[in-house]
Amino acid sequence: MLRLENITVGFGGLTALANVTLEVGARELVGLVGPNGAGKTTLFNVISGLARPKAGTASFNSVNLLRKPVQARARIGIARTFQIPQPLHELTVRQNLIVAQTFGAGHRNARRIDEILDFIGLKRKAEENAADGLALSEHKALEVGKALATEPKLILLDEVLAGLETAGKRQFMQTLKRMHQEAGLAIIIIEHDIETILALCQRAVVLDFGKVIADQTPEEIFRNPAVMRSYTGATPGA
Amino acid sequence: MQQRTIITIGFVVLFYGAVPAAFGSTDYVISSIVAALTIAGTAVAWALLGNLGGMVSFGHAAFFGVGAYVSALLTMNAGWPVFAAIIAGGAGASIASVAIMPALRLRGPYFALAVLAYAGIFRILATEMEGITRGAAGLLSIPRLPTILGFDLGTNIGSYYVILTIVLAAMAAYAWIRRSEIGFALLAMHETEDATRILGVPSTRLKAMMLVLSAFITGIVGAFNAHHISFLDPDYAFSGVWTVLPIVAAIFGGFRTVSGPFIGALAIYLLDQFVFKSLLPTGHQIILGAALGTMILLSPDGLVPLLGRGLGKKRHAAT
Repeated sequence: MLRLENITVGFGGLTALANVTLEVGARELVGLVGPNGAGKTTLFNVISGLARPKAGTASFNSVNLLRKPVQARARIGIARTFQIPQPLHELTVRQNLIVAQTFGAGHRNARRIDEILDFIGLKRKAEENAADGLALSEHKALEVGKALATEPKLILLDEVLAGLETAGKRQFMQTLKRMHQEAGLAIIIIEHDIETILALCQRAVVLDFGKVIADQTPEEIFRNPAVMRSYTGATPGA
Repeated sequence: MQQRTIITIGFVVLFYGAVPAAFGSTDYVISSIVAALTIAGTAVAWALLGNLGGMVSFGHAAFFGVGAYVSALLTMNAGWPVFAAIIAGGAGASIASVAIMPALRLRGPYFALAVLAYAGIFRILATEMEGITRGAAGLLSIPRLPTILGFDLGTNIGSYYVILTIVLAAMAAYAWIRRSEIGFALLAMHETEDATRILGVPSTRLKAMMLVLSAFITGIVGAFNAHHISFLDPDYAFSGVWTVLPIVAAIFGGFRTVSGPFIGALAIYLLDQFVFKSLLPTGHQIILGAALGTMILLSPDGLVPLLGRGLGKKRHAAT
């Protein structure tokens, strides 16, 4: 479904991504891991259109992605969340979802909005101002809700679990699992927490200094000494 | 919601009934109100672009002047009926706005500067294209508004009803867009443009739509004014007054509300004409500046939100 080949991104003299090749199939759930500054968010920016690669190709269901502006990528089924939640200002939670549905999915369906509100647990906060009426976990949920409202085929989740306490995290993971199973979405998730990746993903891709250094099952990844050295500086079992 | 409906109905009754009944026989007052409404129409258009499009324009004089010239020339040279020509004036201003669209990618002060330069071009064109516009000599005896069903719209009171209807229609369009998905998306774009585009919102296209609409409204108001005063020259039609006064009015009244620019224009213009001018015959605009400064200090969101807060407090006190 998603196919990236030899993607290279540079900012000035710095190479953020070097020859990254990655393929993600329909209904796959892929963890994207790596130390800070490895290029994980940059890769999301390339896929969603916020960063332009210097070289390489990218396609989504055989459509050339690199020619499409950001908003057009939403309409062909690519959604993403931001690490720092970006609620749409001056709007309520419900209006946030309405904008995402109207422009991302290209139609209006009030019942679907209610379903999503229910699913992300924000039904009671639907009429609150999204920018200042929500707690952190609710902001994260709204990020996912906006992405779902665009009716995507692929969702890019950028550290949606970071900063949540254990109970909230567990609940959120259940939501993500259901989302993957029920809606049949492909998901790429950036996450630092090893346990989360082990619990959620069938496959993990490790980025380090802009390069893919491993693409295996999560179990294999976290037994791989090279990965562990680059990723946390820790050794397995530590 | 019900309170809003009552306010809207009261507003319409006041302006269509009470104001003409009270001042209809005083030409000086009613013509001042017509002038205030001309500013109000431009202020509504400016605020629509500023609030929904997130762009501060210093170029609305261009749209005002283009609308005025297109409409005046169509009636004088091509024999168009006045109202059709006024609509065409709006369309002409919309077409003129296309030339500034590349600047929509600029942000903040850069956009403001680009529009300022852009506006200057039209005054020069109107002055230099003497074959069409008669240059600096200007256009005299532009056809006045017609008589319809025995009611002469060319009189001050007739013109009052015409410009009032234009301004209220512009406000209704503004309010409707603001409550639509397009309005939601536009408001959200101010703070979080990338996050909005990620959801599929074509941000530049929506801003361009607001620019075209804002230019259209301003062009119509400019065209109305040309037929109302029956005279145009480049310095008048493209005067900086048509840019500055609407901005002052919109900010004074509250440019983030739909009624703010309207209330602001009436307050600013009428205070200036009837109070400040008699206090300080020369340089009365300085009081205008002080009033705006005070308003910004007192309520940065303008007069209408200030009044709204006052009402809110009273209601709390009563319960």
